[in-house]
Amino acid sequence: MDLKRSPRSLRRARSRDGLTRFAVFAAPGLLVYLALVLVPIGITTAYSFTNKNPFNPPTHWVGLDNLTSLVSDDEFRKALWNTIIITGIVTIVTNAGGLAIAMLLDRRGWLYNMLRSVFFVPVVLSAVVVSVIWQTILVDDGLLNSKLRQLGMSDPPGWLSNPDLALYTVSWVIAWQGIGFCVVIYLAGLQGIPQELHEAAAIDGCGPMMRFRHVTWPMLAPAVTINTVMSLIGGFKAYDQVQVLTNGGPGPGTTSTLAFQVVQTAFNGNHVGYASAMAVVMLVLVAAVSVIALGLLQKREVSS
Amino acid sequence: MTRNPRLLSTVALAGALLLAGCTAGSTDTSTSKGGKATLTFLTFETPNLDAKYWDAAIARASAKVPGVTVKKLVSPSADRTGYAKQLDSTGQFPDIMIGLNPAGFAEAGKLAEWSDEDLENYIDPRANTYDGKVYQLPYATQATFVYYNKNDFAKAGIDTPPRTYKELLDASAKLKAKGINPFVVGGGGKDSWADMFPLICTVATDVYKETPDWLAQRRAGKVKFTDPAFVAAAQKVADLAEKGYIDRAGLSRSYADTEQAFRDGKGAMYPMGSWFSASADAKKPSFETGVFAWPTDHGSPALPGVTGGGMTVSSKASDVDLAKKWAKAFMEDEKNLNAAVKADALIIAIKGYTPPDNMGPVYEETVAAYRRAQSADGVVNSFSQETGDGSLPPGLADKAAAGVQKLLSGGMTASEFGAYMDSQWTKATR
Repeated sequence: MDLKRSPRSLRRARSRDGLTRFAVFAAPGLLVYLALVLVPIGITTAYSFTNKNPFNPPTHWVGLDNLTSLVSDDEFRKALWNTIIITGIVTIVTNAGGLAIAMLLDRRGWLYNMLRSVFFVPVVLSAVVVSVIWQTILVDDGLLNSKLRQLGMSDPPGWLSNPDLALYTVSWVIAWQGIGFCVVIYLAGLQGIPQELHEAAAIDGCGPMMRFRHVTWPMLAPAVTINTVMSLIGGFKAYDQVQVLTNGGPGPGTTSTLAFQVVQTAFNGNHVGYASAMAVVMLVLVAAVSVIALGLLQKREVSS
Repeated sequence: MTRNPRLLSTVALAGALLLAGCTAGSTDTSTSKGGKATLTFLTFETPNLDAKYWDAAIARASAKVPGVTVKKLVSPSADRTGYAKQLDSTGQFPDIMIGLNPAGFAEAGKLAEWSDEDLENYIDPRANTYDGKVYQLPYATQATFVYYNKNDFAKAGIDTPPRTYKELLDASAKLKAKGINPFVVGGGGKDSWADMFPLICTVATDVYKETPDWLAQRRAGKVKFTDPAFVAAAQKVADLAEKGYIDRAGLSRSYADTEQAFRDGKGAMYPMGSWFSASADAKKPSFETGVFAWPTDHGSPALPGVTGGGMTVSSKASDVDLAKKWAKAFMEDEKNLNAAVKADALIIAIKGYTPPDNMGPVYEETVAAYRRAQSADGVVNSFSQETGDGSLPPGLADKAAAGVQKLLSGGMTASEFGAYMDSQWTKATR
């Protein structure tokens, strides 16, 4: 050991060692992240300023033309609006439904343990599998409408064929699959609330509603933050269910989402540059909404 | 234990680079060495063309071309062209593809050209040319017919298949009056393309009959989708839906479910590609199936048909000549052709080929109807299925299918559909 080294140089050496260790363990992950996330984002951003069409070279720099075209593109605006509706429905349904189910399951016993697993199963399944299952239920002559006809409804709704309904049907399927995730997070939150707080509130005369409002709800603030932000991100990324259930229809863009529009424009229309501009807008929107939601909800965590 | 952070760093860095390299760059699965090659072959599976069919056909072709190992790729849906584009965008463009729409790929130089010598066995070698060059082996013809339930027709008192459009409307009215849904049309879920068949037929009878090169003229800006002829064709489809002759439940049915709906007797007529005849023969429905061509107003034939559908080879395949040799071996092998005819009811367009003797009655009736139209010079292009110079711009067929959904649901008039198609054309070709 070098006894002549000053405390400052020792600190530097330790810091260097720490950085090296960090690099050793983090480098593989960081490099994969760089290769599979950051580099594609960089390439997509670069494409968004071009008219790239792999079937119609050469590619030219078009500056902000793609972005300005998006503003007046009816299909893109429709897809954006659809995405907002889906995101809103998914966020509300998964959070409200997830919290309700979590409160029902926040009990001891094998039955409740089993039910927790049951509610989590859809989360583990592929969105395509879930969509195919729901498709068999929701087609006009599917299980649901057959049951409704048996119950006396002569003309049951076209859940996937009615342009006025299809978007809400798709939203429901996405929300149904996401509820299990919220249930697990809310359950963890509920089980983290000290029993003493409930007992103290009960001694002070609080009924179940008051206890929920003044104890459970504030204490669940971190779980609400996670679930809301994750649901928002999930809603904005909706693609698989749209592809399988409706292919963006029935009718032009009826259920088309931003992600669906990006894929269609890039791989069906071959307008890779224009689709990249859509993807960049989508990325900025998701990031902005997530950051804002996270900021607002975390403030609530502190205040509660 | 000694720690060597530098060594660890180097190992980790190398590992990470290797991992990143594997994921981003390991796309070229084709190899060629000393007359031996591993080639990727993009196929698609349907209820008719299942995995067993493809595996057997690949094995037969490989037996004829020594040195080739074929790695089968399967398109996740029937849209193999869309999947090929995705593979191309990630540097994984297959070496050999079947049933691909060459539009876009051909013009971009991604496909190898077939020479006159390659095409000498084909009946209509120049069926699909791009700037005078052929990129797809035109090995078979498929056409769109109306398949019908003979029992339902008998119940409704319809003695013969309709020969004019008015007779088709009369037959539809009689069926509806008997409580039988006249037409089964699909187009739900990922299979929105399946709603196109009535429009394919009406465009054939009302537009292409009169102007066979209509799409080429559209490309040249001489005609528009808002022109009276095209709007009239769309109006016929809208009217059928409006009168309740087309079952709107089809808008939620996948292609496979639509076929099943016809089999289950949920409608008397099923406008569909000639490939349905294979299915009708192989797994006979509980009723007798008949076939007729969608009639024109005056009864002269205008049958929508397309010849092509064969192999395309990537111009960047590791061994283009060997890939072409294998593709031709696959395409021209008699057993493969027999299997394709049996499985998909193809009308083979290769010289000297005759279908197996034991083909079913629906196929025989389909081929006879095709030959009748052919001999009367009544085979025209098949709207949205065309390939070659006079085809729709990339992506427009999907847009048309989405528009037809709205046309069928009553959310769009025929004129609006024409305007929609014109605006989509402008977008697709900008």
